[in-house]
Formats: sequence, C-alpha cells, structure tokens
Amino acid sequence: MNSIILVILVPFFTAIGLALLRDRPRLEKALSFASGAGLTMYVFWLLHHVDTQGIQVSMIGGYLAPYGIAFVADRLACIMLCLSMSVGTVVLAYTCFTVTERQQGHFFFPFFHVLLLGVNWSFITGDLFNLFVAYEVMLIGSYGSMMVGATRQQVRQTMMYVALNLVGGALFVVGVALVYALAGTLNMADLAARTAALSGPRAAMLTAASMVLLLVFTLKAATFPVFFWLPDSYPVVPAGVNGYFAGLLTKVGVYSLLRVFVMVFRQEGHGLATEILLVLSGFTMLLGVLGALCQWEMRRILSWHIISQVGYMVMGIGLAADSRIAPAAVAATIFYVVHHIIVKSSLFLVAGVAEKVTGKTRLKEMGGVITLAPAVASLFLVAALSLAGMPPFSGFLAKFVVLRAGLDGHRFGIVLVAVVTSFLTLVSMMKIWAYAFWGAPRRAAADSGWQAPAAATAVLVVATVVLGLGAQPFMRLAADAADEIVTPTAYVRAVLGETPRTLAARGGKALFP
Amino acid sequence: MELPLAVAIGLLFAGGIYSILRPNLIRMVIGFGLLSNAVNLLMIVCGGFSLRNAAPFVSDPNAVAGLMDPIPPDIVLTAIVISFAVGALFLIICYVVYRDYGTDNPEELPIPVADDETFTPRRRPRRLTYED
Repeated sequence: MNSIILVILVPFFTAIGLALLRDRPRLEKALSFASGAGLTMYVFWLLHHVDTQGIQVSMIGGYLAPYGIAFVADRLACIMLCLSMSVGTVVLAYTCFTVTERQQGHFFFPFFHVLLLGVNWSFITGDLFNLFVAYEVMLIGSYGSMMVGATRQQVRQTMMYVALNLVGGALFVVGVALVYALAGTLNMADLAARTAALSGPRAAMLTAASMVLLLVFTLKAATFPVFFWLPDSYPVVPAGVNGYFAGLLTKVGVYSLLRVFVMVFRQEGHGLATEILLVLSGFTMLLGVLGALCQWEMRRILSWHIISQVGYMVMGIGLAADSRIAPAAVAATIFYVVHHIIVKSSLFLVAGVAEKVTGKTRLKEMGGVITLAPAVASLFLVAALSLAGMPPFSGFLAKFVVLRAGLDGHRFGIVLVAVVTSFLTLVSMMKIWAYAFWGAPRRAAADSGWQAPAAATAVLVVATVVLGLGAQPFMRLAADAADEIVTPTAYVRAVLGETPRTLAARGGKALFP
Repeated sequence: MELPLAVAIGLLFAGGIYSILRPNLIRMVIGFGLLSNAVNLLMIVCGGFSLRNAAPFVSDPNAVAGLMDPIPPDIVLTAIVISFAVGALFLIICYVVYRDYGTDNPEELPIPVADDETFTPRRRPRRLTYED
C-alpha cells in the first residue's frame, strides 16, 4: 500500500462532503476548489516521484498480484492524472464564477467530483474489470453533470448518451468475459506477459475477443464509425464543465486504447487491432473536420473538432503496428494527448466566455467579441491557432511528431489525410473567428462577469504556449512513457514481482483447452 | 451445462437487442435489463460453470477440475449492482423525456437544436401526483 490511492479517495470523500453542504453554496465552492487544487499538487509530485523512482504499485488489501485489485502509477498514468487534475481545477475555478444557483442546487459540484473520481480511477487501474467499473463511475458523474439545470434538451440528450453507454458497458463486460475465458486473468501486467506466450488458435481467439474491447474503446474515444453521439450531446453540457468533458472524456478512450492495445495486446501476430485503428483514424480525422465545417454553433463546431483531433491520436496508435517506429509513434500520441487536452479544454472554456459576452450561442447572432472583450478574443486566437497546428504553439509540434512517425513508417496516405485535415481545421477556426469575434457588436456592452472565468481560462492558454516553446522536457517524458508501455517489462515486474506468480488451472482453461 | 446456458444467453441477447431497437422508451429500458442479464450469464459461463457442489479451495492443484472459478461470480455481482443503478437512472430519464415531450416514441422527438426550441408536444401527459 502507498499513497497513490489518494487520487481516488480525495474526490470520493469530497463528493460526499459536498453533497452534505448543499445549503452552504459559498463553502461548497471553496471546499470544492481546495480539494481539486490540493490533489493537483499531489499528482504533480507523484509524476516527479514516478519519473525518478520508478513505477508505483498499490495492491488493495495486500493481496498479491495477479489476484488482488492493483492500482499502478506509471509515467503514462501520471501524465494523464496531472492533465485530469489541472484541467479539473481550472474548470472548478471557472465554474465557481459561472454556476447558477439552480445548477448548484442540482448537486453540480458533487457530480463533478464523481466525474474526477471516475476519470482518475480509469487512469490508475491495473486491471481490466476495474477499468469497466471506473468507466461506469465516470459515466454516472457525467450523466449528472450533463443534466444539471434539467432543461428539456439536456434531459433528452442525456437519455441518448445513457442509452449508448449502456450498450457500451454491456459490450465491455462481454469483452472482459471473453478475455478472462481465454487468458484466465484480467490483471493487465499478467495479461501482457501471457499474450506474449500465446500462439496458435488461442491467440487468434484472443484477438477476436479483443475486437469487442476495441469497439468499446473506440465508442468512448468517438472515432469513426461510432462518433455520432458526441456532437449532439456535448453542446447541452453547462459551459464550464464542458471544458472538462471535451478535454478528458474522449481521451479516457484513447488512454484505454493505448493501455490495452499497445501495452497488453500488441505482440507479434496481434497487429490486427492497430491496422484497423490506422484506417479508422483517417476517416475519423476527415469526417470530423467536414462535420465541423457545416455547423453554425460555436460549441457544436468545437465538438466536431474533438472527433477530428481524436483521429490524430488514434493514428499514432495505429502506426505502432510497425515495431520499428512503435516507440516514436506512441510518444507522438502521448504528446498529442497532452497538447489536445489543454487546447481543447481552453477552447471550450473560451467559447463559454464568448457566449457570456454576447449572450448568444449561434455564430450568426454573435459577432463583435473583439470589440466587447478584446482579451477573450486573443485567448481564442492563441488556442485556435494552436489547435490548427500553427507554430510556435504546442499544436505545431504535436502534429509534427505524429506526421514524422507516419513518414518514418512509410504510411504516406494517412499523412496526406492528416495534412488536409489540418488545413480544413484552420478554415473552420477562421469561420468562428470571422463570425463570432470580428464584425460589429450586436449589443452596447458585454454582460458583466466574464472577466473571472476568462482569467481561469488564461491559465490553460498560457500552458499551450509553454508546451510549444519549451517542449523538450515534455517530449522526453512522453518518450519515456512510450517506452514503458511499448516494452512493458518494467511494468510487469513492478506488478508481478521479480519471479512472476502464475495462476493455477482456471475454469477458463477447462472451457477452451 | 454450457449448451443450455449458451442457448439462454443467445435468447437474452436477441430479446434485449430487439427491444432496444423498438421505437418505445419503456421497451428500451426492458431491453437493457435483458442485455445486462445476458452479459452476466456469459460471465458465469466463462468462469466454467459446473454443478459440482464444492468450494474451490483445495490443496492439490490437480483437484480443481470441474470446480467453479470464484472470480467471475464476484465480477457478476459488481456488474449487477452497476446495471441496476444505471437502469434505475435510465428509467427516470425516460420518464422525464416522456413528461416533457409528450411522447414515448424516440422517433417523434424533434431534431436537436433545429426545431427543439419551437417544438410543442401534441398532447401533454397528465403529471403523476402522489395520489396516483
């Protein structure tokens, strides 16, 4: 046992505490922010600790792996935790200023902490079934966060979102059951060690079982052809928490793809999933950006861009099929995830501020933010240029490393699609800029109260500039994290010990001799 | 025991998927109930379900043949709790949609944003009160 379990316990107890403080809104806001900020400091310390001391493992109840519940903090998990908590804290600061009394009365803050709990849990778990439980906890938090305020549209979109995720959850258990029947374990380290040793029909059946998991994770990451749920559901989420949704929720899917299909199932002869992902990524990028081009609502355009950007990350995972370029491709994906979470969250937060400034959500009705609130316009410009991949911001480097991995792997088709997508991204960002920010303002003055949320957003916008100009240490960290999951020997040794214990004969073996 | 269970799982999956695809909110909720039971049964079968009546704690590793693996039932228990909680939530959401839009057919719901704001239900359902 060590302290890494705190990333789950702190949001859990905060959520319970906040639910009890419903009658004290100011205290609730203060406690909520303090908990987020404290945990953020802890996860940055944890990242440093893991980077210098190696992978940290916590076995619940002291059972030895592969039997007990394992929580594992390696570099990738810590990077994701840092992103989750820092974006979460910025969003908490933002929502402290924007949340309405009605929303707060609907347990806005407790649900947000449940969301943090689920996301952190899915990053730190070392076991497939626990990943399912973490997904469900995260989804409960997201259903609650989506519905605060309870307008008709919100409830209706939440219904679609819940229905889709119920199917996803059922499929997840199917995948877990099949993997358990074939491999006899669900511990990721144990699975990684065992799939390496499998061969023949059993390996082929495991590949078939992993396809079910592939569908579940791509559904969560919103890649082609299962992205349709995202652009309808995200615009109904309240403005502040939308930034966290946009940044983290689809990236939990990308993280699961990295963890399961790069670390656990990526062995010689198991390349099917990564090949499929490479093809899907091309369609995802292109269809996402084409969808964005024909929308006329700011947050809806940005939602389509999430899909398009997920394509770039999945492309990096797809390139990992080739073991020569696998470390570089996975490092590129990790760097892209870091860039994307920061930029996408800040864009959604700026969109919320711009809606507050103009009082409208449709592009053709907005106009003139640059006159009403020049600071907001400059925040948007930096984030939008970074998203489209303009130097010197982080988007340029992130796209550069992904494309270079593609060129090194001689996958020229996908590189071409990625470059075209990048141009189209710039076009649709220009559309938002021209309609919402330029032009004559349609009202005399901005609504008051946009300054404080804009200041919270500025923290993330500064982060994308820092990530772009001082990328070296982040690239080094991404490369180390990629090495750790592409060749998971250190991970397996940290979880299973020096002399791996193997499971005795299991029911699964009797079923599939 | 695998064959009858496999047939049951297949029927549950078929019934669940058919119900989810029906244009009716209540059938969707019932469909998810069937689907989650299908999945739970599948998990039980994957643990090597057997009728041999003994606990899987033996000192001789060769004596475990035919005993049921204890981990899948644990997993199923967790999955049941989760599907129950989310199913209850889903039922309430479906009810609120019915109350707000006056229809239990998802195909009659307006297209999001385009005509959602101007949509008025054809008939307002009577609100349930505590006396009902």
